Amino acid sequence: MKLEALPWIILFLPLLATAVITLFTLRCRTKSSLISISAVVAGFILSLVYIHANGWHSEHTETSRTWLSIGDLHADFGLKLDALSLMMLLIVTGVGGAIHIYSFGYMHEDKSMARFFAFLSLFTFSMLGIVLSNNFLQMFIFWELVGVSSYLLIGFWFEKPSAGDAAKKAFITNRLGDFGFLLGILMVWGLLGSLNFGVLEAVMTTNPAALGCCATLAGLLIFCGAMGKSAQFPLHVWLADAMEGPTPVSALIHAATMVAAGVYMLCRTLFLFDANALHVIAYIGGFTALLAALIAVQQNDIKRILAYSTLSQLGYMVMAVGLAGPTPAMFHLTTHAFFKALLFLGAGSVIHGLHEEQNIWKMGGLKKKMPVTFWTFILGTLALSGVPPFSGFYSKDSIFAQALHQHNYVLFTVAVLVAALTTFYMFRLFFVAFLGEPRTEQARHAHESPKVMTLPLLALAVFAVIGGFIGIAGLYGAQFHLEGESLTLAQQFLEPLHAPFALACGLGAVIIGLIAAFILYKKAATDPLPARLGWLSRAMRDRFYFDEIYQATFIRAHDFIASVCDLFDRWIVEGACIGLVRGGTDLTGRALRLAQTGNLQTYALLFALGVALVLYFALGK
Amino acid sequence: MTTSILTYILGLPLLAAALLVLVPANYRVVIRAIALAATFVPMLLAVKMFSQFVTGHVGYQFEQQIPWVESLGLSYHVGVDGLNVGLVLMGAIVAFAAACCSWEIQTREKEFYILLLFMTGGILGAFASLDLFFFYAFHEFALVPTFLMIGIWGRGERKNYATFQITLYLSIGALLALLGLIALYVQSGAQTFDIPKLTAYLGAHPLAAHSQNFIFPLLLFGFGILVSLWPFHSWAALGYGAAPAPTAMLHAGVLKKFGLYGLIRVALPLMPQAAQSWMHILAWLCLGNILYVGWVAMKQKDLNLLIGNSSVAHMGFIFLGLASLNLIGITGAVLVMIAHGFLAALTFGLSGYIHQKTGTLQISQLGGLCRPLRFIGVTLLMAAMAGCGLPGFANFVGEVTVFFGAWKVFPLVTTLALWGALVIGAVYMTRAIRNILHGPVPEKWSQLADATGLWRKIPYALLLVSLLVFGFFPSLLTDKIVPDVTRIVAMANPVTEKPGVVALSEIKNLKSALPN
Repeated sequence: MKLEALPWIILFLPLLATAVITLFTLRCRTKSSLISISAVVAGFILSLVYIHANGWHSEHTETSRTWLSIGDLHADFGLKLDALSLMMLLIVTGVGGAIHIYSFGYMHEDKSMARFFAFLSLFTFSMLGIVLSNNFLQMFIFWELVGVSSYLLIGFWFEKPSAGDAAKKAFITNRLGDFGFLLGILMVWGLLGSLNFGVLEAVMTTNPAALGCCATLAGLLIFCGAMGKSAQFPLHVWLADAMEGPTPVSALIHAATMVAAGVYMLCRTLFLFDANALHVIAYIGGFTALLAALIAVQQNDIKRILAYSTLSQLGYMVMAVGLAGPTPAMFHLTTHAFFKALLFLGAGSVIHGLHEEQNIWKMGGLKKKMPVTFWTFILGTLALSGVPPFSGFYSKDSIFAQALHQHNYVLFTVAVLVAALTTFYMFRLFFVAFLGEPRTEQARHAHESPKVMTLPLLALAVFAVIGGFIGIAGLYGAQFHLEGESLTLAQQFLEPLHAPFALACGLGAVIIGLIAAFILYKKAATDPLPARLGWLSRAMRDRFYFDEIYQATFIRAHDFIASVCDLFDRWIVEGACIGLVRGGTDLTGRALRLAQTGNLQTYALLFALGVALVLYFALGK
Repeated sequence: MTTSILTYILGLPLLAAALLVLVPANYRVVIRAIALAATFVPMLLAVKMFSQFVTGHVGYQFEQQIPWVESLGLSYHVGVDGLNVGLVLMGAIVAFAAACCSWEIQTREKEFYILLLFMTGGILGAFASLDLFFFYAFHEFALVPTFLMIGIWGRGERKNYATFQITLYLSIGALLALLGLIALYVQSGAQTFDIPKLTAYLGAHPLAAHSQNFIFPLLLFGFGILVSLWPFHSWAALGYGAAPAPTAMLHAGVLKKFGLYGLIRVALPLMPQAAQSWMHILAWLCLGNILYVGWVAMKQKDLNLLIGNSSVAHMGFIFLGLASLNLIGITGAVLVMIAHGFLAALTFGLSGYIHQKTGTLQISQLGGLCRPLRFIGVTLLMAAMAGCGLPGFANFVGEVTVFFGAWKVFPLVTTLALWGALVIGAVYMTRAIRNILHGPVPEKWSQLADATGLWRKIPYALLLVSLLVFGFFPSLLTDKIVPDVTRIVAMANPVTEKPGVVALSEIKNLKSALPN
């Protein structure tokens, strides 16, 4: 491995930035942001240098040091550098870099900008750690660190009660997933005796039944981790609330990178999952995709629409993994990182231009006021909807093809339906927020964002457009199938024609969704759907009442147990036990006091009785 | 034999306590300076000792032995091995931090500092002693000042009740342990209080099973009560809630670990058969700490009671590590002991600061404190995160190691304990953060003074840095702990461990076959 030190530098630069900002430059906003930005941009450049020197598929992919070694618990701190992690490295530092730069403009007015960039760098460090981990324990460590940096960034405006609540909710929901994840790790370690991905894969390849009867259970437990981070049903509830964080955070963490970590982890450890576990994973992914798409249709907050769309796309990726298709999953993850980050940053630009307005029904007519935002947003929308030849079209098509290839027609239907819904809600958002006449005074006075914000939009837009045919799928394909078939640009461009049925269904769904959105929303002043759908519309708007159901069941039950314990502790353990000891001592004291009367005759009597007793025992025998 | 560095470490605070008796009570600056110096120098010495400790060397280092009552086999004997070197270091750092935090004491300062130094000397002595008599006597030296400090300088309405309860419980616990230790001395027939000699002797002539079965429970529950083992835990949260911050820091952080240290040092290796039979019960009891007390912590309305209960809950992880009786579990237990020492001291120090500034620890009264108290708020946030097991802090390494160790022996208990560690801990910690640090700042707190200046920040920064250093580089500790725990585990498990499903050698082969 050439330039072995480089990945270590890439990993630790953002941590260094966090430390420097926290310790020294917390009072200087510009300096702090520049430190943070240069750490991630340097990471991007160094990643390119490393890939240039070693290629995507080098022979030696690991570099590690011993971190903890106790008996047969051996945990390295190691980096794994194969195509999968290198590509993720580029996404995290590249897309992340664009978002860092954008944040410089977006957060410029905020007094705590230095703190923001310190957290952002901490997040970058943690995310790079997940991506580069070569073993389960290290991945879990960074997994938790990502969770906490997300917690800190969601709660960045901690004086707002809603932000504090959202941060707490995200953290606890993620912890629920991590509970399963760590159990799964313990189980795998207990059965296979190692934590290292390479060793585990070798064990599983030589002996596919090594996990024995626990195979499905272990797989599902590991999947719990992904369920938390990638917000899959039933742990999906935190992601929409996480939009309380600043918009660049939503773009970076809750769209492009962190939420994709679950999918990445599944692809990294795919060899552990047996057919049953994959089956469950596929259906959970499909269900999440559908559920979130339905909810997105009736949301009015621009960030929440995008959040539910993220959930839905994550559902696609998880479904693809479950359909034994890591290549389509990672392909979609990559293109999604481009266009979803673009859409979020665009939304942030709109929010910025409208002075913190997030309701799409209070926007409108932004085309002339914000041209760059408008044009990049439409490109992102087209990519997300899966319109050819934008990137989303290729990756989504590969998922459809995978479902067909596995002969899973149920999930194929779900996927196509979700594609139609996606187009529908994205164009609903687009027509309402960007076209027509300005609906409010704020919308009339909207202004385009500064260059530092629009340039990252343009950069991301380029990749959102061309991401589908520049060889990304081929890279992942070579990683997972080890066949070095490389396609030319033109071949990639026409790749979807290999599965014409999937292609036709996908395009049909896009056209239906687009037409429906056009009819309903092109000229709408208010949302016509609630009147037409009735209770269904309300249920969609209220997120199918999952929060309320959890509140009424799990949270209340857990609190009830806590109350019982508290009362038991207060009244039984503390009250009764201590009370008994104290009362008993007290009672003995009172009883003995009766003998101490101070009356000489009583003492004489007792004395005589005692002597008699002693004599009886001494002489009686 | 030259005087060991340990003698200086534990002797300096005691000497200084004696010196303080001679200083007039109104020389407040002098008193404080002496107390700070008498904890600062031992801390430096402890750091020096820790860095000079030879890793991988089985047996005691920095030893010193002075015979005392030879007919009974009594001697002043100090020394450290991997098991207690970290504990002595942690104790010395916490003691200095506690002395720094003592500026909250405004009345009868002279008496307070004398007791504090006395307690410090006792604590460090208890961990450094290799003679059962001194081991126990030093602990009592430290325990008695605790009661006095809570009784005199304590706070809150329930101060007297708390003092009463903590005295009652800890005296009973100490008494049971004393009975056990005396029985051990008598039954062993080795005519010595010296721990290394006793260990060697009992290794060659194991105690009869019935003696073990009689003595082990005495030690388990005697020491257990001192560590707030469920269901003998109710003194802890209440006592810490009422204690002045420095006392709570020293007791919850360091002194409490004495019982655990005693179990690992004395009970497990000397009475292996009884230990084997009690460990299943201990594993379930520790769930009482982790789950039950965790739930209790969720319902607390007072910050100190919350921290106190959380501290009790953390003891459960240590007990779980002990119960696993294997190398990984016990090493993890020692790690948690050290990590929790720093953490408990940090959180009690911070709550002491908040109490001093606001006059209340009622969670409903607080809110938005991150804005006025930036340093304290951020430090409390990090402490809370360390408390719910966030990687980067030493607690995570300890807890996760305990889980790895316990998983092989008690999978079900470990599963439930994980719930306590990952979910319940996160719930009460994030709720506390939300209610204390986040949210809008009430008008009355908007002008609170943050800890400014190096002096005020030092105790918190020191403890936080210690947590981070051992969290990032756990091998600093594990490399020292592992050889000695291996020895103890070998004594505690006369039967060799069963191999896993895949033999270790097989994995090593695979690993070497892999391209690197």
